[in-house]
Amino acid sequence: MEKRRKLSDHIWTIILALLAVAYCYPVFMILINSFKKERAIGTGSIFKLPSKETFNGLAHYVSAIESQGFLKSLGFSLLITITSVAAILLFCSMCAWYITRVENKFTKALYYLFVFSMVVPFQMVMFTLSQTADKLGLNRPFNIWIIYLGFGAGLAVFMFAGFMKSIPLEIEEASMIDGCNPIQTFFLIVLPILKPTLVSVGVLEAMWVWNDYLLPTLVLDIRKYKTIPMLIQYFRGGYGKVAMGPMMASIMLTIIPIVIVYLAGQKHIIKGVAAGAVKG
Amino acid sequence: MADIRFEHVVKTYDNGVTVIPDLNLEIKDKEFVVLVGPSGCGKSTTLRMIAGLETISEGELYIGDHVVNDVAPKNRDIAMVFQSYALYPHMTVYKNMAFALELRKTPKAEIDQKVREAARILELEPYLDRKPKALSGGQRQRVALGRAMVRDPEVFLLDEPLSNLDAKLRTEMRSQISSLHKRLATTFVYVTHDQTEAMTMGDRICVMKAGIIQQFDTPQQLYNYPDNVFVAGFIGSPQMNFVEARVDANGSSYDLVFGNDRIRVDKPELARYIGKEVILGIRPEDLHAEEDFIRKAEDACFTAHVKLAEMMGSEIYLYFDILGSQKIARIPSRIPAGVDMDIRLAIDTDKVHVFDKDTEKAICH
Ligand SMILES: Nc1ncnc2c1ncn2[C@@H]1O[C@H](COP(=O)(O)OP(=O)(O)OP(=O)(O)O)[C@@H](O)[C@H]1O
Ligand SMILES: [Mg+2]
Repeated sequence: MEKRRKLSDHIWTIILALLAVAYCYPVFMILINSFKKERAIGTGSIFKLPSKETFNGLAHYVSAIESQGFLKSLGFSLLITITSVAAILLFCSMCAWYITRVENKFTKALYYLFVFSMVVPFQMVMFTLSQTADKLGLNRPFNIWIIYLGFGAGLAVFMFAGFMKSIPLEIEEASMIDGCNPIQTFFLIVLPILKPTLVSVGVLEAMWVWNDYLLPTLVLDIRKYKTIPMLIQYFRGGYGKVAMGPMMASIMLTIIPIVIVYLAGQKHIIKGVAAGAVKG
Repeated sequence: MADIRFEHVVKTYDNGVTVIPDLNLEIKDKEFVVLVGPSGCGKSTTLRMIAGLETISEGELYIGDHVVNDVAPKNRDIAMVFQSYALYPHMTVYKNMAFALELRKTPKAEIDQKVREAARILELEPYLDRKPKALSGGQRQRVALGRAMVRDPEVFLLDEPLSNLDAKLRTEMRSQISSLHKRLATTFVYVTHDQTEAMTMGDRICVMKAGIIQQFDTPQQLYNYPDNVFVAGFIGSPQMNFVEARVDANGSSYDLVFGNDRIRVDKPELARYIGKEVILGIRPEDLHAEEDFIRKAEDACFTAHVKLAEMMGSEIYLYFDILGSQKIARIPSRIPAGVDMDIRLAIDTDKVHVFDKDTEKAICH
């Protein structure tokens, strides 16, 4: 019995390892090609590792950073991601707290509205959205977070509410007796207990906002503001010339921050997801 | 001064159920009062109204001289220990205890001194840097007590604080809480459904049933002079035996007749019940099998057929039937008695309780 379980463990390990390789391979492809000379990134040679002749060093990375306002876009992307995620975490956790602790028809309806918003495809609302955003002046990197807050709220409220139900009400009652007003209870008791969920939601939303291409393209004034995903698109736009090398280099550069965020939060993501399911 | 006074308090929950119909209760300053009763009778509700965690639908609640119906929990100067302890999971034991004081902007040195003092009394010093999840149930329970202690509250509220502990620890904590009460000299309100806890700890015990106070008195009074059948049955373990009996006149005194047996009871209050049915209550220890007792109480004896005998050490619990329902007698264990034996038992008629069958109120003790 013991042995057989071990065998099936091994089989699973192999299957999952193969899957992991399959998932990583495209990234690996981009990585190796970003080090190759432009002419070696062709259809015929795309799978080849860089050789002595085709190795280009960090040249593409340098040109990516130097060219076409990469740093400026990086700044916009960072600004949008940080403000959006911060807003989502703060407002959605508060909202979820209200929904779980005040039980009436209104909050129930509110909750289902949030859940429902997750299943509405973005494509369905995007054109009206871009016009509305223009009218309201939400088309700048400084306030586009309001739009992201709206689109991110569904998942965030859903996850926060799920976890908050598992926090015993008595802990909050104890804090009220100990002298907290509701604001203090929220920030001193509820939020710290919620930390694993905060990190999970934060990482998920950060990955989405950071990588998002469609929404900023539609909403932002494209001549003035480009986020990183928009900028990458521009490497291949222009006059038919596709600068594959710098494009791949900048893709690699943009992956790095989000991978760091993910790795830093990883421990909590697993905890946060499990915490909702298993009580205690 | 922190006496607590309920004046015609009504509690109706949002779903329209009235849990407490009309509560009048006065708890004196520095008193240890135990609220006891079966599950769902409204003990926690009462306690939570004192804490301010439940609104009061009607009536007034006083703490000291003030009506506190609309006073927020944090302004009532109370501390509460929850059944689930409700420790803050993200804080160390030290922080858990210091939290309330920090909120009140108490000077750091004073907080430190108070927390360490409480930790010393509760033997929590080695665990001050741990998080609650790294503690045993008993240790968590003590942290919950410590958290309440450091605040020097006017009123200490405890909702079944011992029900998650094993029997040995429970006995230990029982005396710890009692001595804590003496040391702090504040008002304690303690909720439990365990009558042993109530009897051992309370200065006065409030027995509740379905939101209504049945009797509010000292443990001795409750045990010896229960006001009604419910209190008589609830307090005392093993339970009091109840037998339905008819009252017959017998010269200057009265006979209580059940089945083929009759016992002579000398209580003038029974005059009004001649010919009527009453409920006779006899505590298991007021049934005697000793020779000399039986000789003296010729007119209060009956024969019991033992169904089951439990040896408890110094005593034996004998189980037998009267009129088809099970009764218990506690007799000294040197008396030879065993299963399937017929044994003569004498009732100590000075200590019997008689209750009205309709109102279930006590007629005489
Ligand atoms: N929030 C609520 N809404 C509606 N009814 C409630 C609520 N809380 C309690 N009740 C009802 O009020 C009654 C009394 O509850 P309470 O918790 O005071 O009982 P209790 O005496 O503490 O019982 P236990 O010994 O089981 O803790 C119960 O019948 C319960 O169903
Ligand atoms: Mg209760």
